[in-house]
Amino acid sequence: MMIWLTIILMAIIVFASRHALLEPRVPIRLSQKTLTFLSYSAPAVLTAIFAPIVFAPNNQLDLSLSNPYLICALVATLLAWFTKNTLLTIVISMGLFFML
Amino acid sequence: MPLSANNIKAQNHSRAKSYWLGALAVMPLTIAVIPWGILAGSLALETGLTGLQSQAMSAIIFAGSAQLVALGMIKAGVGLGSILITTLLITSRHVLYAMAMRHRISPLPLKWRLSLGFLLTDELFAIANQGQQHKFDRWFALGGGLTFYLGWNIATFIGIVAGQNIDNLGELGLDFAIAATFIAIVVPSVTKPSVLICVLVSLVLAVVCAVLEIQSGLLIATLTGMFAGYGYASITAESVHDSAGSDKPDKPVSIEETK
Repeated sequence: MMIWLTIILMAIIVFASRHALLEPRVPIRLSQKTLTFLSYSAPAVLTAIFAPIVFAPNNQLDLSLSNPYLICALVATLLAWFTKNTLLTIVISMGLFFML
Repeated sequence: MPLSANNIKAQNHSRAKSYWLGALAVMPLTIAVIPWGILAGSLALETGLTGLQSQAMSAIIFAGSAQLVALGMIKAGVGLGSILITTLLITSRHVLYAMAMRHRISPLPLKWRLSLGFLLTDELFAIANQGQQHKFDRWFALGGGLTFYLGWNIATFIGIVAGQNIDNLGELGLDFAIAATFIAIVVPSVTKPSVLICVLVSLVLAVVCAVLEIQSGLLIATLTGMFAGYGYASITAESVHDSAGSDKPDKPVSIEETK
């Protein structure tokens, strides 16, 4: 029962966070400055999620070349930068990761 | 102007086309989310949830990082209150996404606001805002969102089935899929120095917070990164990329789109 309660409450929080500001009645006026500020939200939050996985697996800083997360993330970064191809980047870097 | 049958047919055709274009655009990200979904499904079982509960997490909550973090906390015996506060922190970025898309989605009818709101993930945000050169298309967003939802739930199901048969699925390094996906989204979005500053600040702070085991590290790193990028752009008077929208010069820019 506790698990179901957790799932439902989490679902409400997640949905509310996604939906609330899409409602026109929720009064927020956005200036150009705010929109510019928000354009940084995706790169910032996604980086904040992946960076610890790559640089600190198990919550310990690991900048050595024996850290497969770091090696494969570098490969992914180079692929993403030079090819701009999402699928290629993901497939090759993940393939490499599972080989290492 | 009355619509002729041909016009209606053409309109339906273009809707279907947009829908499938959206589905196609999100396909790489859907493939990338498979290992991640498998991880969520198997980890849920391992945590002691039933198969139905494990699937319900993906079907009702539909938020990968929040699900994985919550499972870790349930496993560690953390109380409901802390789990919900952490969920709020992790999901707060969706408020920012909604805010960024508000001017385009809020004029739509309720059913569109509800469904696109439910489907608003990192991945949908990424494809719906890519380049921003083409006008926001609700059918494109719906196609992308539903495809991704389906992929996420099928992957979770595979994880639940596989988790019953394979021990320690969670130690296979499936979490690299999260990193690969986000790198593939973030790197091409670095189109100007201010975004680079934003990413670097966020990266360093997130790692520092993780090492120091600061609970709200995600929020700290994100907000500081955003302020850093914005601050840099303001100080250097970096141009807001105005080259967007120039790919279809034959089509006049509609004014109602911006206001």
